[in-house]
Amino acid sequence: MKKLATLIFFLWFSFGLTAQDTIPAPEAAEPEVQKPIDKPVREPFSSGYIIDAQTTLVQPKNTLEFYIQHKFGTIENGISDLYGIYAPAGNIRMGLNYVILDNVQVGWGIAKLNMYNDFSIKWNILQQTRKNTIPVALAVYGNVAIDSKDKIKFGSTYAFTDRLSYFAEVIVGRKFNGWLSLQMAGSFSHYNFVDTGLEHDRIGIHFNGRAKISPQGAIIFNYDIPLNIKAFAENYDFPNSPLPNLSFGAEVATSTHAFQIVMGTASGIIPQEMIMYNHNDYTKGQLALGFLITRLWNF
Amino acid sequence: MRTQTSKFLLTISSVLALIVIFAFAVPQQKVGSAWETPAKYKAMKNPIAGDKASINVGKSLYMKHCASCHGKKGLGDGTKSKSLKTFPGDFSTPEFKKTADGVLFYRLSIGRDEMPAYDKKIGDEEDRWALVNYMKSL
Repeated sequence: MKKLATLIFFLWFSFGLTAQDTIPAPEAAEPEVQKPIDKPVREPFSSGYIIDAQTTLVQPKNTLEFYIQHKFGTIENGISDLYGIYAPAGNIRMGLNYVILDNVQVGWGIAKLNMYNDFSIKWNILQQTRKNTIPVALAVYGNVAIDSKDKIKFGSTYAFTDRLSYFAEVIVGRKFNGWLSLQMAGSFSHYNFVDTGLEHDRIGIHFNGRAKISPQGAIIFNYDIPLNIKAFAENYDFPNSPLPNLSFGAEVATSTHAFQIVMGTASGIIPQEMIMYNHNDYTKGQLALGFLITRLWNF
Repeated sequence: MRTQTSKFLLTISSVLALIVIFAFAVPQQKVGSAWETPAKYKAMKNPIAGDKASINVGKSLYMKHCASCHGKKGLGDGTKSKSLKTFPGDFSTPEFKKTADGVLFYRLSIGRDEMPAYDKKIGDEEDRWALVNYMKSL
């Protein structure tokens, strides 16, 4: 009986304490103070693309984007082929992106080189804010690409999965002031099928940015570095290592368009192609002219 | 024979001249019809009226979104203005300056006909008010 009384005593006070915690006295209530909202910075980039790379920017929800990326041949032959513009080599990619949710974009593109069909998703996880509550923007981007060339390319043991390659990237960006925005990113690329002696996987680091020179105009650059990490490699050495991709150019953005005229190293356009297979060397003048055009529609 | 050739050449020249004249003739642009603004917008107070810092924000937005039609100085002489059916307006006139901020906010947010809606392209209301401030400063 004594034990029962003790139990009731504790239970009574335990519930009593809970009640006191959760229902404050009316006179103790303080007036609710609204914290000022720290809004995202205005337009860290004019487009979701900066040359071949992705920016942290995702357009407003329900925006449809159509884009064309074009790269001509290298400028090595000079005037004989009008600095590569009339060269037979070249690459084109065009496709669509659609923003399905706030800060989430899905896309599809098709490129001339290897007839890559790529399906992508980009999520702008964090937006940099004006008062630095969030000092940087953070986005993740991923794609899966299907090499649509004839299956003879993949040898006698062909399987559909041989056609697949993947790219995953984490991008961190900051708009430093009214005219300068910079980004850096780390990426992982994987090809299911590669020739003997090549790596299936590669890590890359990326730097890019924009310096505005007028309300609509900007100078842009991009630098992709494929890394040779021995601890991560399948082969003893790297005789066919891919080379860094350097590109730079000018951008003009309007309400619904972005135009970028660029010069760059890699002939590939999808990111895993540039990280795994770029053998053009910008130190030897193996650069090509190119352009990007995007068009937006809001629904 | 010579007279016939002369007549033929004269006819051809006249036709060509007419083609050239019509090719370069610019169709007359109409002036925009009355644009009713809902009372809700008319009564709106500009939350950043008189904020000088907003003028720079507005200018940046104006140059990107508006200048191609309305012109850099708002005179309605932008590079695309000639291809519009309706004159895009002159923002330097006293009538324009007297227009209520809420009315301008409504017009640029909702749009009509050739004037696009910017409520999605410029999602932040504060930015659209900054645009109003800049347009009034032209």
